[in-house]
Amino acid sequence: MPVTLKYPFVKITAPPEYRGIPQIDPTLCIGCAACVNACPPDAILRIDDYDRGTRKIVLDIGRCIRCARCEEVCPTRAIKLTNFFEAASPDRRDHVEVVELRLVKCKGCGRYADFTGRQVQKALKIVPKEIIEKEALDDKVYLCRDCKRKETVDFTIEASKEVVP
Amino acid sequence: MSEVVEFKEAVEKKRIGWGSEKAKVTKEYLDEILQKFGDKIKDFKQVAYNQWIITVDRNDVPEIVLYFLNHEGWKETQLSTMVVNDERPLRGKFSITYWLSINGAAGDFYLGVRAYIPEDDPKFISITPKHRGANWYEREAYDMFGLIPEGHPDPRRLVLPDDWPEGVYPLRKDFHYSDSPPGKKFYPYKKPKDNEVIVPYGPYHVALEEAAHFRLYVKGEEIVDVDYRGFYAHRGIEKIVEGRLTYDQACFIAERICGICGCTHSTAYCEAVENAAGIEVPERAEYIRSIVLELERLHSHLLHLGIVCHLTGLDVGFMNAWKLREHVMWLAERLTGNRKTYGMLLVGGVRRDLLEYRRSLIEEVLKDLKSGFGEFVDNITFTRTFVKRCESVGILPYRIAKELDVDGPLGRGSGRDFDVRRDHPYAAYKYLDFKVPVYKDGDVMSRAMVRIDEVWESIWIIEQALDQLPGGDILAEYKEIPPYQEAIGMTEAPRGENIHYVMTGPNNKVYRYRARAGTYNNLPAIPDMMRGYTIADAPLIVASLDPCYSCTERVQIVDVESGKVRVLNEEEFNRMAIKASRRV
Repeated sequence: MPVTLKYPFVKITAPPEYRGIPQIDPTLCIGCAACVNACPPDAILRIDDYDRGTRKIVLDIGRCIRCARCEEVCPTRAIKLTNFFEAASPDRRDHVEVVELRLVKCKGCGRYADFTGRQVQKALKIVPKEIIEKEALDDKVYLCRDCKRKETVDFTIEASKEVVP
Repeated sequence: MSEVVEFKEAVEKKRIGWGSEKAKVTKEYLDEILQKFGDKIKDFKQVAYNQWIITVDRNDVPEIVLYFLNHEGWKETQLSTMVVNDERPLRGKFSITYWLSINGAAGDFYLGVRAYIPEDDPKFISITPKHRGANWYEREAYDMFGLIPEGHPDPRRLVLPDDWPEGVYPLRKDFHYSDSPPGKKFYPYKKPKDNEVIVPYGPYHVALEEAAHFRLYVKGEEIVDVDYRGFYAHRGIEKIVEGRLTYDQACFIAERICGICGCTHSTAYCEAVENAAGIEVPERAEYIRSIVLELERLHSHLLHLGIVCHLTGLDVGFMNAWKLREHVMWLAERLTGNRKTYGMLLVGGVRRDLLEYRRSLIEEVLKDLKSGFGEFVDNITFTRTFVKRCESVGILPYRIAKELDVDGPLGRGSGRDFDVRRDHPYAAYKYLDFKVPVYKDGDVMSRAMVRIDEVWESIWIIEQALDQLPGGDILAEYKEIPPYQEAIGMTEAPRGENIHYVMTGPNNKVYRYRARAGTYNNLPAIPDMMRGYTIADAPLIVASLDPCYSCTERVQIVDVESGKVRVLNEEEFNRMAIKASRRV
């Protein structure tokens, strides 16, 4: 059987198991940056802008080595490796995919927290409802780390006053 | 056909080894060392199931290492690697460790001979004058750490580029991985003697891929000396792994050390971490690792056989070998998701399972490969020009092979009876049955024959592994990896022994990583193999090593005395090699 293919004059498709160019589905991405931590060549970056209140997940397929670690760690299956392998392009910008998400605005201090609204929603979905009262949770999850810490300390001081008058 | 039969009989006579017995883990060699040098050994410890480290004074290192390597009764002793470690943040000292091994199915045993070297007196006694195999390791120790090997006969720069400034040592812990110091360009090549002409051979290699620069010192057509300047493709992977990556990320960077046999590097790295942390790999994962590794060996050997055919002018063989290889590549793509960078391994196991339909794919390809390869072997061994061109070229005698610690098919072609798969069984090789071909002639033909035999063995190994494949998990779960544990991982790459050393560190990161590929031990043997042969033999001899390096443009022939420069491109140079085969 001959092994020389007529590619590129004839279009060929890679086998279904092939690890091709990764793609992020922006409707599913929650901006947790698990892929950023797992990526060996730093092809995915997390860029937070606390003035504008946005988080960018930037995927550069020019740096990507197609190892599919991002696909393995993604909690919502937003990032996936496709079957496409033709990455060549005259424009470097074609290699970069950006997903921009809104950060949570803290209910306490009004500054932007370092997590996104979608992350909070995902977390709320996972939390079993019978364990924690939902109303108490709603107040707390939209606070930034500093405010949460402050609230915890305040709460502890108040509680200790009740016990030891 | 009588010629084929005759040839096969002649080959059978040359083969001196056909062993298949697996080595068992043993400690007897350590006991003998402890008995003989008991008062000199300050400390000894076991770091993994088959690895021990003894700590001695730095002045006693050469005596013990040379005793081990030159012991009459110990089979195929080998200087497997030498690891320098900057342990100043831990102990305030540097450490050097010579890793020695016993081969020849005489026991699964690795011994590290370690000495600590203070920062204010960074010197150690070189063993290169008495054992040439240590040459590159000790030059690298100076390059990367600034430890001076005293009495080294050739203390030139090895790894670092020509414009790297003196006194900056990149693998020390106080050097950050993204630093880039400025410097001047200069490299002290050997001076030619009277009536000798220099033939620069590279930086782009003429027959194979990747950059390496040989300087052939010739008299007329005959090669009298060879100088080597390589490491153009040095990418600082060790520093990146130490500086930036987590354990799981490093698997994929380790796979990119080599352009052909990446998976075995990945395996060696994973094994080193598993040995250091005591992680047990599930049996199914071990089997899958073995299958993938053998597939890699198949495509690598077929590639090499094709190149040897091409350089001897037998282009039919070249095309046939590469045609067979392509099917193996496609199979790998279906199994792992890529033709070459499989990305299958993680610390603790593998990532993709071998599903049932993939299993039938393998069986189909192997069936075709068996008939196709049998035909190919008959074709090339029936071609008298091929056999005559390969026989008695580039001879590497056993004595020199042992002195230089050469590895893999190169060593087995010269009568060294070793194979990491048998002598230090890793992955699933301890459960599988296979033979290790050994030939005594040491010429290009022997190396080709070793590879042909190994292709058959690889096919046989994959078939067995498929039949025996057990069920169960493919990835082990493990808790945190304890810091400052150390071990080596070893694999038999298609080109020789790969040894990776890992010292674990805090924060889920590697403290020290040292990778040594088979070609690191094989390339220093090239001067000995080329001396006395002609320029036209040079590409064939270099290619017969199957060295791991890339892409050819042209070669320059410079007549130093008249200043005449002759530029040959790849085609012309290779044509010289092909033309020479027409003469036979």
